[in-house]
Amino acid sequence: MRRIVLRRLAQIIPLVLAVIVLNFVLIHLAPGSLFDVMTSEQQITDPAMLDQLRHTYGVDQPTGVQLAKYIWSVMRLDLGFSYRQNAPVLDVIMDQLPATLILMLAAIAVALVIGMTAGVLASVRVNTIWDNLISLAAVFFFAAPSFWLGIMMVVLFSVKLGWFPVGGMRTIGVNNGVIGDALDVMHHLVLPATALGLFYAATYARVMRASMLEVFRLDFVRTARAKGLSRARVVLVHVMRNALLPIVTLLGLQLGTILGGSVVIESVFSWPGIGSLLFDSVMSRNFPMVLGVLVLGSLLVAVANAAVDLAYLRLDPRIRAR
Amino acid sequence: MLPRTIDFARRFARNRAAVVGLLLVILVIGIALAAPWIYPRNPLRIVGRPEIWPFVNSRFPLGTDSLGRDIAAMIAYGARTTLLIGLCASITATLIGITVGAAAAYFGGWIDEMLMRFTELFQTIPNLIFVLTIVAILGQKLEYVTIAVGVVTWTPIARLTRAEFLSLRDREFVQACRAMGMSNLRIMFGEILPNALPPVIVLSSLVIAGAVLFESAVSFLGLGDPNVSSWGRLIGDGRTLIRTSWYICAVPGLAIMLTVLALNLVGDGLNDALNPKLRDR
Amino acid sequence: MVVSMSKRPVILDIDSLRVSLFTRRGVLPAVDGLSLTVAAGETVAIVGESGCGKSLTALAVMRLLPDPPARVVGGAVRFMGRDLAALSEREMQRVRGKDISMVFQDPMTSLNPVATVGDQLIEAIRWHDKVSRQEARTRAVELLRRVRIPDAERRLNDFPHQMSGGMSQRVMIAMAIACGPKLLIADEPTTALDVTIQAQILELMKELQANSGMGLIIITHDLGVVAETADRVVVMYAGRKVEDAPVEALFERPLHRYTRGLLGATPSANRRRGNRLAEIAGSVPALSELPRGCTFQNRCADASDRCRAEKPALTPLLPGRTAACFAAEEELSRHGIAVGP
Ligand SMILES: Nc1ncnc2c1ncn2[C@@H]1O[C@H](COP(=O)(O)OP(=O)(O)O)[C@@H](O)[C@H]1O
Ligand code: SF4
Ligand SMILES: [Mg+2]
Repeated sequence: MRRIVLRRLAQIIPLVLAVIVLNFVLIHLAPGSLFDVMTSEQQITDPAMLDQLRHTYGVDQPTGVQLAKYIWSVMRLDLGFSYRQNAPVLDVIMDQLPATLILMLAAIAVALVIGMTAGVLASVRVNTIWDNLISLAAVFFFAAPSFWLGIMMVVLFSVKLGWFPVGGMRTIGVNNGVIGDALDVMHHLVLPATALGLFYAATYARVMRASMLEVFRLDFVRTARAKGLSRARVVLVHVMRNALLPIVTLLGLQLGTILGGSVVIESVFSWPGIGSLLFDSVMSRNFPMVLGVLVLGSLLVAVANAAVDLAYLRLDPRIRAR
Repeated sequence: MLPRTIDFARRFARNRAAVVGLLLVILVIGIALAAPWIYPRNPLRIVGRPEIWPFVNSRFPLGTDSLGRDIAAMIAYGARTTLLIGLCASITATLIGITVGAAAAYFGGWIDEMLMRFTELFQTIPNLIFVLTIVAILGQKLEYVTIAVGVVTWTPIARLTRAEFLSLRDREFVQACRAMGMSNLRIMFGEILPNALPPVIVLSSLVIAGAVLFESAVSFLGLGDPNVSSWGRLIGDGRTLIRTSWYICAVPGLAIMLTVLALNLVGDGLNDALNPKLRDR
Repeated sequence: MVVSMSKRPVILDIDSLRVSLFTRRGVLPAVDGLSLTVAAGETVAIVGESGCGKSLTALAVMRLLPDPPARVVGGAVRFMGRDLAALSEREMQRVRGKDISMVFQDPMTSLNPVATVGDQLIEAIRWHDKVSRQEARTRAVELLRRVRIPDAERRLNDFPHQMSGGMSQRVMIAMAIACGPKLLIADEPTTALDVTIQAQILELMKELQANSGMGLIIITHDLGVVAETADRVVVMYAGRKVEDAPVEALFERPLHRYTRGLLGATPSANRRRGNRLAEIAGSVPALSELPRGCTFQNRCADASDRCRAEKPALTPLLPGRTAACFAAEEELSRHGIAVGP
């Protein structure tokens, strides 16, 4: 088991290396040299600083050396320096990352809870009005852009009803201690997490329904019924445990998309995560920051993906044996 | 071939949701094509009082935005952008996906291994962040957005193509071609590809829907091409006015949703028509 | 033998059971007026080719028919004098696994793949008997020992895929007897297993039955199994019971032409285990195309005009046995044997 974990974690390394190389290629795609890209829009004029930058990026050396230098610096977690924030890129990103993680996790939780509940309900009441309503809702939420859903939710729940704040992560100027703060953040989190999560909830509802119907036909379900178990217990314990597996696979595949989606949602709700940072950096052509977000985002997804794979391993003993 | 196509069409037509989707898609295409005739002047031009609500003034059936531009005109022109980008991005994705998937399956071995790792790489990179990065580096141009969206959506097509190729590779007719000494490329593109294509095209139609969503997100963030009218940008522009005139956001959002929904319905319908067994359950 | 059986109380009484399949092609009679009784301690074998309605009969008793398409449309199933159809679903849940248990054909797919064997056993025990988890665990180990699983304690933590087919079937049996049922229904319990394992499983079931006195319905293709385990045999064809006889008598002198076909030319050779039913030329008619008259007519060498026009009814032809065959009826009366009980 430990070997499997280690091997899975080891698979992340070439992936991250590839992302770094891709980054490098992107820099070279940009008009102007690496050096120009890293400095031009930053309005750096101080000659000493220019010299230092020239050295760090090895601008005057052949491409191969530049690549090696670049990889080496990223491996040392040196993603460059952002003059806009006047701080190392890594530090700035790390400051913003927790907020994004909270939003992502909350959105995933919303997606799983709503999606699985709806899927189970639809499968248990298959071909009834419930099933049809759930399918219909899934079709709509599967098509609605999350940012638009977010705005419409703000119109309804914040502007018209006043139930939730319009945006931000905390109420400014209020101090309620740790628990009060957590509740405050959760209050701010409801709308963005739901707006982001509903799209995935729609996917999970469809997959869960199909998967449940598939499992319902398997022999062991009949065995469970023959034991005298109630329908509810058969569904919740035996069928659901097995029907869950495709959802886990899907979640692993979608982590990158969820991170991307949170970028847009953060912009809608002024959520102070790396989304806003990225947006700001793209607008100001702050390339070290943009590329830093890309590398760290990919790393995050790769690690989370490994975690999901390992979770799958726990859920499906048949894989573990292999 | 012809009877098979008719059969396919009949199965598709039996799916009511898919037919509704198809009609919607045709409607959107119609609007996109007709836009220059209905609204011959630049849609981004100011035509009236700002913030007129929909259904109030018959000259502006969908109202005007914060600057006094005709929302209906912008929606009509936005359909052009949306469909064009969706279609081109999907074609880009399909070309990349088929090439990668076919090569991986046909050659197998280390080439397969490498290409699948490459696919995995693009699954790992957070796609929207990648699109924004490309737009940041290359600039806010329609072409770049299109290519960027294509580049982040090809992975499912590659996987499907690979799976289809793998199942076809060892069929008798391919073996026969090989025995006849046909070249690899001829076999791949002349014999296997036509047989693997139908499910891949169905998936591509679903990729259009995804591409439309991507494009709308990019324009919503204000990073799309500033010179063309786009549904996503309309929503982005209307955001500041949600307290008074939320319809400015609502209308283009509905347009996006209906288009994506219609594309999804058509894609699902094609899929079901292609695999009739699955539907009979 | 029949006499001794009749002294024991009847626990299961299936009376003119009718199960229909509601399909797009119409309503098909999958089980048509089947009657059969099982006494305490008695073993009844149900034999017949695939698709004759044996499994549906068993599932109808458990009220676990796959609905749609299958539904009970007539007759009654009485267990210990209670009409099972009259029970609420909740009451029926207390019967399943507690009073009546069932073992299925394919042990490799009949256990939940993502739960340990122990958890599944313990669940069965605790669902019906309110005991602590610890106590249930002890009982589970005890059960695994009773079904001869070595190293029972450790096996509790195994997942189904870690067990062989024979082992899994033992677990299934352990689960079925966990709460001391009065009736066990085994639907082709050995069909999916190796021949050597089959013997062990049968041995085990006989032994468990002898110790507990439960009734046993064993559905099988294997005449050796019938000869070794059954007290009485019910032969089914196309959803109907065509013959019902004590096991000795049946092998001695099969009456229905279908039964004869199944036993083949040399009935006595069939008693060896592993001897499958003989092949009969032709195939079972589809339920949607059942002929008028005897359903076996298209494969029967003795079919007469009467067989094609009229459905033979189950008739008591010899003491303790019934059959639904015109040829058998005539044959017996020709030989001067009085037809009737
Ligand atoms: N779930 C089902 N759906 C449709 N037909 C079924 C189903 N289960 C059984 N049948 C049909 O009912 C008939 C009896 O089946 P079954 O009781 O399983 O036969 P046996 O167990 O004797 O082989 C067969 O013709 C079979 O095809
Ligand atoms: S009733 Fe007639 S057709 Fe049927 S088995 Fe007997 S002899 Fe054959
Ligand atoms: Mg059966």
